[in-house]
Amino acid sequence: MCGVIVSTPPCVRLVRKHHLLVRVSHWLNVLLLAGLIVSGISIYWASPIYQHGPDPPTGNADYFADAGVWLCAHVPGLHGYASPPDWLYNHFSLGPYMLAPAISLHWFSAYLFMLNGLVYVAGLCLGGEWRSLLPRASDGRGALVMVKYYLGAPFALLRCRKRVPPRFNSKYNPLQRLAYFSIPIAGFLSVVTGWAIHKPMQLSWLAALFGGFDKARVWHFWLMCLFITFVVPHVILVFSDGWDTVRSMITGWSTRSESEGQSHEP
Amino acid sequence: MSPDENSAQLKPAEASTPALESPGLFPERGPQISKVTPEVARRSTRRAFLAFGTSAVAGLGVAASQLPPSTLERLGLTFWPHNQWLLNNALRFDDYVAEFLYSPNRLMPTYTKSQITALRNNYNGVTPDSGYIPMWRLTLDGLSSGLAASLDIRTFLARFQIHDQITRLVCVEGWSAIAWWSGLKFADLLQAYPPVPQAKWAFIESSVNLDPNGKPDPYYVSIDLLSARHPQTLLATHHNGQPLTVEHGAPLRLIAPMKLGLKNIKAITRITYVKDEPKDYWAKRDYSRYDGI
Repeated sequence: MCGVIVSTPPCVRLVRKHHLLVRVSHWLNVLLLAGLIVSGISIYWASPIYQHGPDPPTGNADYFADAGVWLCAHVPGLHGYASPPDWLYNHFSLGPYMLAPAISLHWFSAYLFMLNGLVYVAGLCLGGEWRSLLPRASDGRGALVMVKYYLGAPFALLRCRKRVPPRFNSKYNPLQRLAYFSIPIAGFLSVVTGWAIHKPMQLSWLAALFGGFDKARVWHFWLMCLFITFVVPHVILVFSDGWDTVRSMITGWSTRSESEGQSHEP
Repeated sequence: MSPDENSAQLKPAEASTPALESPGLFPERGPQISKVTPEVARRSTRRAFLAFGTSAVAGLGVAASQLPPSTLERLGLTFWPHNQWLLNNALRFDDYVAEFLYSPNRLMPTYTKSQITALRNNYNGVTPDSGYIPMWRLTLDGLSSGLAASLDIRTFLARFQIHDQITRLVCVEGWSAIAWWSGLKFADLLQAYPPVPQAKWAFIESSVNLDPNGKPDPYYVSIDLLSARHPQTLLATHHNGQPLTVEHGAPLRLIAPMKLGLKNIKAITRITYVKDEPKDYWAKRDYSRYDGI
C-alpha cells in the first residue's frame, strides 16, 4: 500500500500476533494469578496439606514453616528474622493468620479468573489463534529439540558462542505449542478442582472425580505449582527472546517476518 | 493497514529441521502481514503502550488496595488506602452462588463406619467445665405460640426420634473429618415447636464457651431455616454412639453437613427464630455469612 507513492518513507511489515482480547486476558491474568497464589498460600497455611509429626519444642508440623526456619538459619542476612517459621508465608502470601482476607481475595480473583478464561477463549476464536495452539504429531520430538537448545544456551553464552536456534514454519515452536496448549487446560482444571474443594457437598460428584475432597485439594495445590513452573521460564525466555516478543503482547503485532526467523520463546 | 497481497509469494523460512513439520488436523493460517509507514507503526505502538501503562497502573493500584493492611505494611505501602468494598461484595456474591447451589432435596454424601476419621476440637479457647451440663436447658424463642419454650436434655431424648448419620464436617481452614453423629432432626424440632410464620432464620447461641484466658466467649451463628429443615441437619446428642463430650459440644450441638464446620455450633443454649438475618460470630470477623458448601 505504501509502496504506491514513491516519496513515502520505507515500509514496516507488521505481522499480526495476538488478538486484543488475548492480550487483555494475558495481562489481567498476571494480576489474577498473583492474587490467587498469594491468597491461596495463606489459605494453605491454615491447614497445610503436607504435614509431619509436630516438632517437640515448637509443635510445628508444616514443611513450609520448616523451610522458612532453614532459610533464616542458612541464608546470610536473614539470621535476625523475627519469626522464621513465617518467613515463606510472609514473602509469598498475605502472611499467616490471614485466612479471612485470603478467602475473600481468593474468591474475588477466582471469579474474575473464570471470566477472564472466557475472554481468552473468545480472543482465540475471534483471532483464529486457536489453530496455532493445537499440538501436532511431531511436537514431542520438536519440543525435545527446543529443550536441548535451551539447556545448551547458558553454556554457549559462557563460551561466547553464537548458536542458531532451531526454526519451525509456524507461529510457535513445538515446545511453546505444548506449553500454551496445556496451560489453559491446567487453568480449567484449577477452576474445576477449586469448585470441588469450595462446594464439596453440593458438588460432591466433582470432588469424587478427583478422588474426594482431600485429593482435590492436592490437585489444586499441584496445579498452582505447575503455574509457577510455567511462569518462571516463560518470563525468562520472553525477555531473552527480545523486545519484539514483549511488545507483541502489548501492541498485538510483531515486526519479525517468517524469513527473518520467528520468535521461539516465551 | 491492508493485508499484504504478496504474502503468498513470501518464501517460507528455511526450516533447519524440516522432518519435524506436520501441519496437523486444523492447520494454522499463514501470517497476516500488513505494510505500514513507520509513522503508523509508531503511533500504533504509542497508543498500545499508553493504554497498557494506564491499565497496568490502575490495575496494580486497585490490586494493592485489596491487600490487608498488615500485608501493605510489610510491603512498605502503609500510605496506600485499603478498601474492602470489592472483597466484601465478592464474598457476598459467593454466598448467593452457594444459596443457588443448595437444594433441600439433595442429600450430602454419607459414609460407612470404617471411613470415620479422627475428629478434632478446633476451638482454641478453654474447654468449659462440664458442670453446666446437669443444669443445661435449651430455650426456644420466636415461636408461633408467642411463648418461649425451655427444654432439658431428657425431654429431647424422650420426645424425639434419634437418627444416626455419618457425614463429613468440612472446616473453612481446609481440613475435614468424617464422623458418626446421632441426634434429632432440626426439622422435627421445628415441627414440634413451630416458629413464627414470617421467620426465615434461626439465631443459635452458645453461652458456655471461654476464650483462651478463661473469659466468657459466647458463640453464635445464623442458619437459614431452609438449611435447618434439610433432612440431614441434626441437633446431635451423640458422637460415635456416646453422649457428646464437652470438647464436641455436650449436650446438644448442630450438625449441618451442607455448611462449613464453623456453623456447626456446639453446646447450644438458645435458638431464636427471626425474620431478618441475625448476626454471626464469624461473619463479624470478615468471613462469609451463608457458608454453604
